[in-house]
Amino acid sequence: MTDQQGDGESRALFRQDFGAGLFLIAVGLFALWEGWKLPLGTLRSMGAGMLPFSLAVMLCLGGVGLIITSVLNKGEELEAWSIRGLLFIVGGVVVFAYTIQTLGLIFAGPLSMVIGSMASDEFDWKEAVIFSVILTAACALLFKTALGLPIPVNVFW
Amino acid sequence: MTDLLANLALGFGTALSLQNLWLCFVGCMVGTLIGVLPGVGPIATIAMLLPITFGLPPTGALIMLAGIYYGAQYGGSTTAILVNIPGEATSVVTVLDGHQMAKQGRAGVALGVAAIGSFIAGCVATLFIAAIGRPLSSIAQLFGPAEYFSLMVMGLIFAVVLARGSVLKAICMILLGLLLATVGTDLVTGQERLTLGLQDLSDGVDFASMAMGIFGFAEIIKNLENPETRDVVHGVIGRLLPSKKDMQDSAWPIARGTVIGAILGILPGNGAVLGPFASYTVEKKLAKDSSRFGRGAIEGVAGPESANNAGAQTAFIPLLTLGIPPNAVMALMVGAMTIHGIVPGPQVMTKNPELFWGMVASMWVGNLMLLIINLPLVGMWVKLLKVPYRMMFPAISIFCCIGIYSINNSTSDVLFTAFFAVVGYALLKFGFEPAPMLLGFVLGKLMEEKLRQAMILSRGSFMTFVERPLSAALLVVSAIMLVIAILPAMRQKRDQVFTE
Repeated sequence: MTDQQGDGESRALFRQDFGAGLFLIAVGLFALWEGWKLPLGTLRSMGAGMLPFSLAVMLCLGGVGLIITSVLNKGEELEAWSIRGLLFIVGGVVVFAYTIQTLGLIFAGPLSMVIGSMASDEFDWKEAVIFSVILTAACALLFKTALGLPIPVNVFW
Repeated sequence: MTDLLANLALGFGTALSLQNLWLCFVGCMVGTLIGVLPGVGPIATIAMLLPITFGLPPTGALIMLAGIYYGAQYGGSTTAILVNIPGEATSVVTVLDGHQMAKQGRAGVALGVAAIGSFIAGCVATLFIAAIGRPLSSIAQLFGPAEYFSLMVMGLIFAVVLARGSVLKAICMILLGLLLATVGTDLVTGQERLTLGLQDLSDGVDFASMAMGIFGFAEIIKNLENPETRDVVHGVIGRLLPSKKDMQDSAWPIARGTVIGAILGILPGNGAVLGPFASYTVEKKLAKDSSRFGRGAIEGVAGPESANNAGAQTAFIPLLTLGIPPNAVMALMVGAMTIHGIVPGPQVMTKNPELFWGMVASMWVGNLMLLIINLPLVGMWVKLLKVPYRMMFPAISIFCCIGIYSINNSTSDVLFTAFFAVVGYALLKFGFEPAPMLLGFVLGKLMEEKLRQAMILSRGSFMTFVERPLSAALLVVSAIMLVIAILPAMRQKRDQVFTE
């Protein structure tokens, strides 16, 4: 993004509102496609599909509106996305989801926390491992022992 | 009047039982502890701590949740004053003068006056709820489906008006929230809608997963992008108790803030957010020397903090009397109530008077506790705030994971949270504000139900919404609000208020 002078037309794609509009239209179309079989019913007795259909159409219209405004008044450009943050933070959560029942908190905790920690620029293996183990122990004590939540802590022995 | 006193007596009888006092204390304590963490607002805090109330009796659980809520609010203010980071929208204003006071070595006084102001506001708001609760719930008897629908429309329009940035974008967010609310089994026909064939979606999208993904994890990813600029106050906190002069300076701001906050808090559509902004603007206008504002004026902390707390409390009114949650926090309360088999609405007051009045009384008790526990613990919060973010965010993240998992012991809830983290991040990047979406989602199911009922009653005519006077009045108010928000002159002013 070095040349700030790029002419309006070619850069429309990179504008926040343009992307936002496309996003809404995509969601709206997806909802229409997913719900096309649902009966609409009549106004007097609305079917299951009436509201999803109307909302999806309105969402698409809103998206079109945003695209039009972005072409007309330019507006802010899209910022770069932090792939690293997304990957590791979300990755840590997904790993937690898949390991909590099979491995228990004693492994799911440190595993997901170390993965999550990698999202930071200041990541340090040793610190992350030690910290996550201590915190997992604290969580186990707090949630399992003190509060009695039925969370699988140790499934092995 | 005697009625009111009898009710309050019943309430205090409930709230002051040893167990409930303890629950209220624990709630305030952990609520503050989590709420102090930068970037964790009340919504994420409550969603995270929801599971710990499951084993309790309903009244105790709600008292504890309310405690968590006040604790989280107060924790947010503490972070705002000590660090230059507002924990949530309502403490944005506190940062302005609070942090300046802290830099001048008056952090203790700022925290003290915030606590005292909040306590006074809390007392007044408690009485206000007790007094207005019954009349309002009898108004609710006059409400048919059409009126309920129009009232919720008004709430959503308020949310649009109060959102930052483009009105069109806010409306789109509401629509997206409403669309998400239609996912799941249709209550009337029993058909599955937009579930993508997933069993886990047949009960609809889980609100806690959504709130946590958007307000917990997306926030973490965003915070990691910016190099850390945490500016924790170094050196002394100073004395906690404000001097006589400080109290004289803040007495009127506290009184005005309380009134402003309490009134705005009742509005559907998260009017509470507006309280601190309104109070700050009023104090600045009324001040003899307005240039002191932004440089550590005590009025700029006392007023908004009182408004914040008063609004946080009166926001319970629409929920308890009409059964309509005015914001995302209250929606989580609905979730908690439903888990305990209580349907929020006007009937709570007559069916579970102990629960209703116990909760009202515990609001006051909670505020008193915050005053007592927080001031001595300031030193601990400062230490906590000095923990670097690279260690703080994995901790927040694991608390969130455990919290979400424990609500239903469900792996898929955790996966949905991950999904909504991505969605939330995308929304942030596209410049959408997620708060209106959450409100749309929260009101969606009830709105659809009322809309369908109204249309059956009116035999398919939309005219019913304007023919019924109460409903028409509500719609007119919403229309006026929307027009005002779109008018260019007002738009500039609105932007000013939010950027100030």
